[in-house]
Amino acid sequence: MKLLIIEDEKSLRDNIFNYFNEEGNVCESCSYLAAAIEKLSAYKYDCVLLDIGLPDGDGFGVLDYLRDNNRSEAVLIISAKNSLSDKILGLNTGADDYITKPFHLAELKARVVATYRRKTFSTNNKLVFNEIAVNLLGRTVLVNNTPVILTRKEYDMLLYFIANKGKVISKTAIAEHMWGDEMDMHDNFDFIYTHIKNLRKKLLDAQCADYIKSIYGIGYKFMAE
Amino acid sequence: MKLATHYNRASIVITVVVLIAGAMIYYFAIRQITRNQLDREIAEEIAERVDYVNRNGKIPKNDFDDNLTEFVKINDANFPTRFFDTVYVSAPGKTPENGRAAAALITVDGQHYKVIITESYAGINNLVQIITLITTVLLIVLLLVLLITNKFILTNLWQPFYSILHELKIFNVADPKILPSRPNRVDEFNELNTAVQIMASRVKNDYQHLKQFTENASHEMMTPLAVITTKLDTLIQDESLNAGQYEQINDIYSAAGKLSRLNQSLLLLVKIENKLVNDEELLNLQLLIIQKLQQFKELIATKDITIVDVLKEKKVIASKSLIDILLNNLFSNAIRHNIEHGKLLVTLTNEKLVFQNPGTAKPLDANTLFERFQKGLNSDGIGLGLTIVKNICQLYRWDITYNHQGLLHSFEIVFNKDIETVVKK
Repeated sequence: MKLLIIEDEKSLRDNIFNYFNEEGNVCESCSYLAAAIEKLSAYKYDCVLLDIGLPDGDGFGVLDYLRDNNRSEAVLIISAKNSLSDKILGLNTGADDYITKPFHLAELKARVVATYRRKTFSTNNKLVFNEIAVNLLGRTVLVNNTPVILTRKEYDMLLYFIANKGKVISKTAIAEHMWGDEMDMHDNFDFIYTHIKNLRKKLLDAQCADYIKSIYGIGYKFMAE
Repeated sequence: MKLATHYNRASIVITVVVLIAGAMIYYFAIRQITRNQLDREIAEEIAERVDYVNRNGKIPKNDFDDNLTEFVKINDANFPTRFFDTVYVSAPGKTPENGRAAAALITVDGQHYKVIITESYAGINNLVQIITLITTVLLIVLLLVLLITNKFILTNLWQPFYSILHELKIFNVADPKILPSRPNRVDEFNELNTAVQIMASRVKNDYQHLKQFTENASHEMMTPLAVITTKLDTLIQDESLNAGQYEQINDIYSAAGKLSRLNQSLLLLVKIENKLVNDEELLNLQLLIIQKLQQFKELIATKDITIVDVLKEKKVIASKSLIDILLNNLFSNAIRHNIEHGKLLVTLTNEKLVFQNPGTAKPLDANTLFERFQKGLNSDGIGLGLTIVKNICQLYRWDITYNHQGLLHSFEIVFNKDIETVVKK
């Protein structure tokens, strides 16, 4: 996947860059609207991460440029504003998703992957991770060609883990992804454990390798050994 | 008391005083003039008598006219002519009346006579009566005219003042509408209008700036918070960290999360207070509560809380996002402050929504409960949850009250009747 990160805050840009820059991904980044348009006119990307508040103009200019040139890049807006009107404006101008600061990198990654997947849905509606095959259309999971019945939460969690494979994900990030940040967990993450335990058990029962690794004190990591 | 009443009162008092004083002065002046006139007449009468005596050399037998004339013999030759007020009887059997008299000396054949001529004051009395009558009529007419002009002219004249006052009364700092300009014939009102307009626009400007500042500040804080969160996300990728370090990181996560929620809550409060949330729709509250119960299932299970819900069908017109927040806050509140293995009673009827949960035996302070940043002793929230609940209720004119009985804490929202009738229609 080829990504363009447009974000003016250097440390945030670097963090996103490093998190996404792994095997199979090519990342590029810039911090100005003009530079972004320049890059977009020269190269094609799969996904664009777009901060709305840029020093030389608002990020909607990028959306206008992409739309005017019939480009097919998936766009995910990163905004400091949690406002409905901005969200609607962004999505109407051609953005595919909208994420509000502050966010977890795991959440961003899951959103980017999902957005990209939706863009290429017609050709690619199957997600495969070793012996796990997820049919995104029917929301079903096969392990070694045996169906595994997952609850909605377990299914969401599995997709979230696969999108962030190889990364340590904090319990906070998982909780926010599954229940939303407005629910206010009071740092009580016991019930996440229950869901993960069930998911893991179901996968193991289907002769799946144990990919979910618990990192003591902080969270989980989904990885092939 | 109204300005017009004050003005009327003052002008009436002044008018009455001036008119009465005027009437008195008028009366005394007329009286003086008529008395002088009478004196002159009497003097003429005396001159006539003297003339008669000088020509005929004797005292006239009968008087020539109605004037009472009296001749008295005296021995004093140096009797000066003098005028005086007297009481006399015009004819036998008549009541005594006031009169003006003059006494003079007449000498006939060496014999001195004092002649006294009296004239009636009746003419003057009539005059006083007429003056009183005219004054009274004048007084009444003047008062009527004053009242009518005051009523119509004053009210009309002060009309701009009352419209400016009305504008000020309905003044809403959050409303971007500019106060209308009202040109008027009266300079003072024009000045007042301009001053009010300038003041209002300045206040609105300041308010807008402040609001913008709050919003911008809150938004600007989101980027550094995103940096903190993503830095931590990156940091935990290093698996050589030990449990103690992870614990520190968790604390930072939690603090950053709290800060972000605090920020969002403040922004939300600004939005509600400025009525910027206007995506009202018809909502099925019963359904939303059932969904919320589902959403909080895990949290409820961890504390082993039993849900006792009595939910009737109830529809409200409100913003879905706000009702979502309202229910979130009430549920998290009732779960957070619940006891282990406790109960959570949710009752929804057509009139009200009640959340009840057992908690501490000590009641919360109902006065400060809904204030910003008021939180319980062992609350790890940010202290804005109930403020937001209260503000949402206020927005929809619902009534929220807190009650405490034994161990049971309850929050009761009474829905507005108006909205119900709208829903029924």
